[in-house]
Amino acid sequence: MIDKMEREEDKLGHSAGRTALSATKMVAMALIPIVILGVMIAYLLGPAKSFLNTGIPLPEVTIETIEFQEGKVIALIRNTGPVDVTIAQADINDRIHPAAIEPSKEVPRLATAKVVIPFPWKAGDPYVIGVTTSDGIRFSKGVTAAAPAATPSIGQASFFALVGTYVGIIPVLIGLLWYPFIRRLGMNAYRFFLSLTAGLLVFLGMDAIIESNKIASQNVADVFNAQILIAMTAILSFLALLYVSRKLVDRAQTRTVSESTSRVQINQQELLVKPVAIALMVSIGIGFHNFGEGLAIGAAVVFGQIALSTFLIIGFTLHNTTEGLAIVAPLAKIGSARVLVRKLALMGLIAGAPTIVGTWIGGFFFSPIAAIVFLSIGAGAIFQVVYAIYSWMMGKSDTNKTKTMFSDAYAIAGFAVGMLIMYATGLLVPS
Amino acid sequence: MSLPRPIIAISIVASLLTSAFAILASNNLLPAVAQDTNAVRKIVGGQTMGYGAYETTGDILDTANSGTKLSNDAVVDPVKYLRSFNYGRVSTLPDGTTLREFTLVADDRQTKEITPGVHYNVWTFNGTVPGPTLRATEGDLMRIIFINNGTMAHNIHTHGIHKAEMDGVFETINPGGRFVYEFYAEHFGVYPYHCHVQPLESHISHGLHGVYIVDPKTPRPPADEMVMIMNGFDTDFDTENNFYAVNSIPFYYMHHPIEIEKGKLVRIYLVNMLEFDQINSFHLHGNLYNLYPTGTSLVPNELTDMVTMSQGERAILEFTYNYPGVYMFHAHKTEFAEKGWTGLFNVKDSSENDIKTATASFGEK
Repeated sequence: MIDKMEREEDKLGHSAGRTALSATKMVAMALIPIVILGVMIAYLLGPAKSFLNTGIPLPEVTIETIEFQEGKVIALIRNTGPVDVTIAQADINDRIHPAAIEPSKEVPRLATAKVVIPFPWKAGDPYVIGVTTSDGIRFSKGVTAAAPAATPSIGQASFFALVGTYVGIIPVLIGLLWYPFIRRLGMNAYRFFLSLTAGLLVFLGMDAIIESNKIASQNVADVFNAQILIAMTAILSFLALLYVSRKLVDRAQTRTVSESTSRVQINQQELLVKPVAIALMVSIGIGFHNFGEGLAIGAAVVFGQIALSTFLIIGFTLHNTTEGLAIVAPLAKIGSARVLVRKLALMGLIAGAPTIVGTWIGGFFFSPIAAIVFLSIGAGAIFQVVYAIYSWMMGKSDTNKTKTMFSDAYAIAGFAVGMLIMYATGLLVPS
Repeated sequence: MSLPRPIIAISIVASLLTSAFAILASNNLLPAVAQDTNAVRKIVGGQTMGYGAYETTGDILDTANSGTKLSNDAVVDPVKYLRSFNYGRVSTLPDGTTLREFTLVADDRQTKEITPGVHYNVWTFNGTVPGPTLRATEGDLMRIIFINNGTMAHNIHTHGIHKAEMDGVFETINPGGRFVYEFYAEHFGVYPYHCHVQPLESHISHGLHGVYIVDPKTPRPPADEMVMIMNGFDTDFDTENNFYAVNSIPFYYMHHPIEIEKGKLVRIYLVNMLEFDQINSFHLHGNLYNLYPTGTSLVPNELTDMVTMSQGERAILEFTYNYPGVYMFHAHKTEFAEKGWTGLFNVKDSSENDIKTATASFGEK
């Protein structure tokens, strides 16, 4: 009934629109509110300025990064307040020091400046760097242990590549070796492991959201609204991956349909295509996650926040081995054993290699916003994968069983164990 | 599950644009600030041992050396203030008593420069921090006409001996108001005067303070006399001083050393009006000084290079340099020293110059 009414209304609206309105009128209708808005803004900036400006806009300066170079300390500051600021002086540990500021001591809104303080710093010592604005307000940021700044060099880059390989690629590839084991499992045990994968992924997703929140609150000024950026990016990446994965599956299926008309064959193909697509999605999601993780590792090493040790590498290795398991689990029951080793290895690289790129970018050009964006993309991607795994599991099970899918003891146990494994191995990694 | 394609497309584009902007902005690529390659290169640092020099095309932030200059609206001219003594409008009463009339105007609306580049709302007596140094001889009648030109209640409380109603504590003079304080200058010594309206800490630390000197009837020996008031400013209102100084401007006497003569007696009237911090101190390099606590005795009680004072404490310091050269003086609480409370004496050998000029003129003859 309602449907019918709507359709009729639609028809009416359509015909009225077509007959009465020309294209120019359409454009005018779209532009009128914008023009009025422009007039309103002009009024607010002009005549209304005097009586609407109440209160005193307070300046705000954020120290984004602090670098220790030989004989000097360099702070990158950004004007994150509502007004232009002028920097009057700089200090180290709250003691005034002669400094230079480039390009100028006048810093417009959202612009940055480089403060260079000649200072004989000592590696490993904590320092607080401060700047004072022309109205006497001091803004500061601390460094727990001064460490010489990493300069992009082949030596440093290969060191980061090595770290990335240990932390990202090797563990994922080790995890892939569970493939033969998963293949030989019974249906219940298999469901257990698929849910375990979902548990691992949900943990990773939550971890990424929390980690990016931490970066947002510690390193990004409020003006950038980094927290809402996290939610936005995660949701958009979820939607984007949803779209991409559906396209992947659709394309594979239409190709199959055109080639053969046998219904059995379609079913068989679907059984093959969907798991591969899911596994690919899992590795892409994990790839984003590991990229974010690499950024964090690179930056932490450079800023002296963590000391890389064998223990830490072992922690990351254990933690990330489970990611390999997450990739192979959807592939285990595709009937034929012709999942190519090459395909698997490729997926392993998609998941693991971004760690290396991440450590390079994090170590040489750390940007907190970039770290947040990539971690959130990873989170969105991971949640999409979890969604795909569960909808696939539901599709695979018999209609009777569908309802009990989530309350199935194996599935719940798997999910719980997955999260617990992540939690336990996560204890080995400093956050 | 199925979403309209345009929505997905728009979402993807929007997310890409947002991330691109965010990454660009955080990587310092936005907004682009053109680098002027022809800009004059300046050098900062290198004055202190162990500190490297840095050459820049940007601006220099250096209040400790002469890198950054004070503008014209500084809260005080430290050179002028140092040796200025206000003896008032002098007249003699029928009974022979000397009457000294002073006018002090309080204001709390001015924003002035307290260190190069930093402007702060100071509360002033006669437009400066510290207020003018009032000076009289023991037994003189002091008449201080006080006018409150500010937006808050203010008053003047002078340390020393006087009647209760002249103490300034219970009379708060409202904006636009006026009050006349009258008392005899006794006992000889050095005293602070300051506003005594609550919150006291606020009124004093914003600048409503100054020095009042009472000379003994038989004057002290002639000397190169100067006033130093140890003070500071809490510019970010966290009840901790951001700047420390003698005579308000941090590091001023570092780049404008106080010139004194070798062999000539120097007398400093030193008053501690620092708020928030418990104590302050005065340490002199390369010399010892005679210390007259509160200045109420003509006999020094210590020969030292270090005096520690609590809020409101003061003393007279007397010393003579026998060797020419540059000598530092500063708070021996080094935090204060490194936040501005440091200065230099430049001891000149004028006798040597005299001899040189004498010989030159002799030679001409």
